[in-house]
Amino acid sequence: MRRMAAESRRSQMLRGVLDLCLLAVVVDEPAYGYEMTRRLKERGLSTVGEGSIYPLLGRLERDGLVATHRAASDGGPPRKYYRTSPSGRSALAEGVRAWRDVRNEVDSVLAAVEAEVA
Amino acid sequence: MPPYIEECRREWKRLGVPDSLAEEMAAELEADLAEAEADGVSAAEILGESDPRRFARTWATERGLVPEPQPKKNRTWMWITASLVLLVFLLLVFPAFAIVGVSSGGSETVEVSPVRRAGPIRVPKLLGLPVCKAVVTANIAGLDAHAPNGSCSALVVRQKPRAGAVVAGNTAGTSFAKLWVRPARG
Repeated sequence: MRRMAAESRRSQMLRGVLDLCLLAVVVDEPAYGYEMTRRLKERGLSTVGEGSIYPLLGRLERDGLVATHRAASDGGPPRKYYRTSPSGRSALAEGVRAWRDVRNEVDSVLAAVEAEVA
Repeated sequence: MPPYIEECRREWKRLGVPDSLAEEMAAELEADLAEAEADGVSAAEILGESDPRRFARTWATERGLVPEPQPKKNRTWMWITASLVLLVFLLLVFPAFAIVGVSSGGSETVEVSPVRRAGPIRVPKLLGLPVCKAVVTANIAGLDAHAPNGSCSALVVRQKPRAGAVVAGNTAGTSFAKLWVRPARG
């Protein structure tokens, strides 16, 4: 029960920044959906929690934060590649700034609790 | 094509997503799921949603391919406002229209209603009278009448029923007499 609650909290926290993570993994090199999942894992984000990256990619595409194109993959069918667009880069920079501010503020509040728990 | 994706396609079709875009999303998903399976990653981990219809709907909505569901509006205030407007109309505007109407030729009408007295009433001659005087005359005869504001000097140019006609009393709520008035010449 406690584990489920922890998973749910993690999922909720991720929901607000997963778009930034997706933008971050295709900022330098385009990738298709599953490849992005792999890159997230490589950088330490093993599960994205409830939901899927596809609706989020859809929203990023709709908002013009990613540019897409279809291209052949290694020996497989043509894939849809995503790459962070110029406006996506701006949104990413702004989002990272906001994330760091929030993280620092929350850390400040939780630091005392951490000391007590430890 | 896996059943999950088939179900997604059906949902996209139902939602009116253009075939080309539905095809594109289905192909993207199919290729990704096949590659994930080859890597030993479960489809559940990729999809994160066991209900294909909900998954398909969310994806299409986020892409802007179908309108987002509108939150239900609180209709209580709308009904209260509509009721108040109707009430104001009934209390103020409707009686004004009932008493004074605009007829052709630039003249106005004054409806005389209902009767104030039981029994038959002989309609007095009101033609040619200033409307205020006509109203008083009608009142004396037993007819309830009101003159429109600011038009006391307007002259009655036509009346219905004609002068001398006998009308039944106690027909409350029924207009049975009408005066046509024209503004008096300066």
